[in-house]
Amino acid sequence: MKANLDKLRNIGISAHIDSGKTTLTERILFYTQRIHAIHEVRGKDGVGAKMDSMELEKERGITIQSAATYCNWKGHAINIIDTPGHVDFTIEVERALRVLDGAVLILCSVGGVQSQSITVNRQMTRYKVPRIVFINKCDRTGANPYRVAQQVRDKLDLNAVLMQIPIGLEGDLKGVVDLVSMKAIYYEGANGEVVREEDIPAELLEEAEAKREELLDAASMFSEELMEAILEGTPTDEMILKAIRTGTLSLELVPVFMGSAYKNKGVQAMLDAVTEYLPTPKDIKNTALNLKKEEEEFPISPDPNEPLIALAFKLEDGRYGQLTYIRIYQGTLKKGDTIINSRDDKKVKVGRLVRMHSDEMEDIEEAKAGDIIALFGIDCASGDTFTSPDISVSMSSMHVPEPVISLAILPVDNKAQVNMSKALNRFTKEDPTFRTYVDHETNETIISGMGELHLEVYIERMKREYKAEVQVGQPQVAYRETITQRADFNYTHKKQTGGSGQFGRVAGYMEPMDEGEYEFVDQIVGGAIPREFISSCDKGFQKSLAKGSLAGAPITGVRVAINDGSSHAVDSSDVAFQLAAVGAFKEGYQKAKPVILEPIMKVAVEGPSEFQGAVMGSLNQRRGMIIGTIEEANYTSVEAEVPLSEMFGYSTVLRSLTQGKAEFTMEFATYKQVPKSVSEEIIKKFQEEKQKS
Amino acid sequence: MLKEDLIKKNPLRVLNPLSVETLPDHRMGLVMARAGLGKTAILVQIAMDSMLRNQKVLHVSIGEGLEKAKAWYEDIYKYIAEGFQLDNAPEIESELMRNRMIMTFKEAAFSRPKLEERLNDLVYQNIFRPDIVLVDGYDFAEADYDSIMDLKEMMAAMNVQGWFSALRHREDKRVSAAGVPAPCHEVDGLFDTVILLQPEKDSILLNIIKDEYDGAAGKILNLDPSTMMIMEA
Repeated sequence: MKANLDKLRNIGISAHIDSGKTTLTERILFYTQRIHAIHEVRGKDGVGAKMDSMELEKERGITIQSAATYCNWKGHAINIIDTPGHVDFTIEVERALRVLDGAVLILCSVGGVQSQSITVNRQMTRYKVPRIVFINKCDRTGANPYRVAQQVRDKLDLNAVLMQIPIGLEGDLKGVVDLVSMKAIYYEGANGEVVREEDIPAELLEEAEAKREELLDAASMFSEELMEAILEGTPTDEMILKAIRTGTLSLELVPVFMGSAYKNKGVQAMLDAVTEYLPTPKDIKNTALNLKKEEEEFPISPDPNEPLIALAFKLEDGRYGQLTYIRIYQGTLKKGDTIINSRDDKKVKVGRLVRMHSDEMEDIEEAKAGDIIALFGIDCASGDTFTSPDISVSMSSMHVPEPVISLAILPVDNKAQVNMSKALNRFTKEDPTFRTYVDHETNETIISGMGELHLEVYIERMKREYKAEVQVGQPQVAYRETITQRADFNYTHKKQTGGSGQFGRVAGYMEPMDEGEYEFVDQIVGGAIPREFISSCDKGFQKSLAKGSLAGAPITGVRVAINDGSSHAVDSSDVAFQLAAVGAFKEGYQKAKPVILEPIMKVAVEGPSEFQGAVMGSLNQRRGMIIGTIEEANYTSVEAEVPLSEMFGYSTVLRSLTQGKAEFTMEFATYKQVPKSVSEEIIKKFQEEKQKS
Repeated sequence: MLKEDLIKKNPLRVLNPLSVETLPDHRMGLVMARAGLGKTAILVQIAMDSMLRNQKVLHVSIGEGLEKAKAWYEDIYKYIAEGFQLDNAPEIESELMRNRMIMTFKEAAFSRPKLEERLNDLVYQNIFRPDIVLVDGYDFAEADYDSIMDLKEMMAAMNVQGWFSALRHREDKRVSAAGVPAPCHEVDGLFDTVILLQPEKDSILLNIIKDEYDGAAGKILNLDPSTMMIMEA
């Protein structure tokens, strides 16, 4: 059990896809005796690594959801969140980083700092997460941890300091030299569990001393005591550890470790580093928003005796209902407590409290500030804040990007239809970037998300976890429409032939709005439109926003004001004014010079410099705007903004252009107006489809 | 304010008068200052003025990252848009940034052949044809006359204006006959325009110590030290 906060670490493991973080986590769980056998990610034994608890993750060998687990290492309790490495799942990474105090950034000793590592690093910087680096796969051909450490300095702009040097590399990797204790460490036994310390081999001594000098130089910047001791020639291990820790916590130094998780080398030393250099919950300053005082900043103290503040950061559909992962920031949470969800002020009774070990769990009675645990049977959404009834605060909202791609899915039979609904209901609660709706015109279910792979994974999960077989349509870019100038409208809806009549006249104007999606302004004076029908007008306008007339895309950035109208004592009704508003919107929209907006992605392509020209050409052909290039040694990164619609199939093109030596990542940047020629094409296609249906 | 007014009112008109149509394409300019006085800010404002006039600018940054260079443009544009209450600021920004490309090089990776190769990549594929090349962070202390001459010739051959920034050191008192301080005192003949930034009590002076084309030599502009924006003196 946890003794105190000083002995608690909440860490994340983040990295580029395939740099071996799941394998590393598996080793951590083995050495901390949470598991008793090692299974590889794509292991022949078919069991799969412990952290990849979703079947699909096991099959693809990639981690999709960040599974939380905890373990003990030399008297410290460590909560580990394993985070996905693919850019399409960044909401998962961002959520994990939000609740963590520190992180291990895994880099491949061959691939080095790749584009996704840059994204992850940027996210870590955004959430001010102190980090250490572990250079993995030092057993691979071409391994060069020195080059990777240099890349950490150059590409990630971090003050990377080698804490170790390797003993042998590639196939000859035997262990590491610890530059603090100046000892050689070898990992032996069937699973590297026997750690043997020796004197540094003579041939490495000179290099080790030189690198230790560099380490001391860097560390002494954070401790005067150490600086003086170095001058006197008497630095102790404790002084060095303390200085490195200070540097790491201030985000001004990043200690670098190395090894090979797959070959069971260097993992235990990295675990030591987690406890020595990464922060305790007390070292991190967190704040919430005071809902009673206009969201004023509310300081949080990790004191178990203060009122509870906890954040739900992840939901999972477990065997026994919804499992809610929470991080407790302040106070204590006990079984049987009544807590408040600050989003809707609803009271929630805490039933079961569990500590998670990937997909297995252990029941506990209480959990205190700093801890990461899971709750059973609580209905909430990801990102909700829970508090004691006596305070009203919310953790600041997380940055949630809008989906940029959508596709239609069609269940193959009735059973699949029911299961699909269940699955979609669950996924949308778990992942705010995954959305779903039914297109009433085509009656198709549309799912939307952050990229092709993002949606692909949910379709696979539907099949596997919910037995919902679906047919999938072509991916569609999520276009939007907006207006570019102010336009007046004055529309009368009149139906006075046969049966009960309908009458309503709505007049006013619409204008572009820079921020926000829609605003309704009521400027009616003298009752030109009776008060009871004002909201009908608003409703009618809102209905009109769902589908623009150019491409059938949602309309955003419009302010609609009504300033005149007329009604009929008998024939005016809610419906009549809604229809009048729809007509008025249509009239104004045509005059307001509507345009189509498309999602623009920030694309980064990395590869050998010899291909830079070809890469830039390929981005230019895709209507890309090249922002810039970063050139170092023989490696170049090209950064550009490219419309998403032009990026389908780009990975194949890039592969053939660069003999498979370049790779790219992309993330949503913004919405921009499409050029006229493209706009005409989109409109034409939309009109053709409209005629067909 | 409209974009056109902004162009007219820019204090940089001293150097780039609108009326002079005969400016040579291959003008070479130099901005010199001690560390932290705003060399990059001046280059970015020269770039921005050109971009507003629909010229294409290639910003070469040596030793600094892409994000840093981008941030300069964003900040300077923000000051311009807010300070001059520019109409349609977001649209103009996105239009402007199409006129700019940034290339960053590690110190060791920058050379004339490398830059020429990259420029050719851009020009031959019709991706970007710069009118002005800004080189920020070039190490004049380490460079010799021939290598700067080499860059000048390349820019002349490509018909582009070149603007460089150079770092001067307080302790190095050497000065050329024209008043250009070290480390550029021996290469001042290669530049048509030289601007020296000098800190004063409340502001930074932009002292145009040499100008072959517009007769701006001897004129002085001001730099607001809080925003790094150029102002009339």
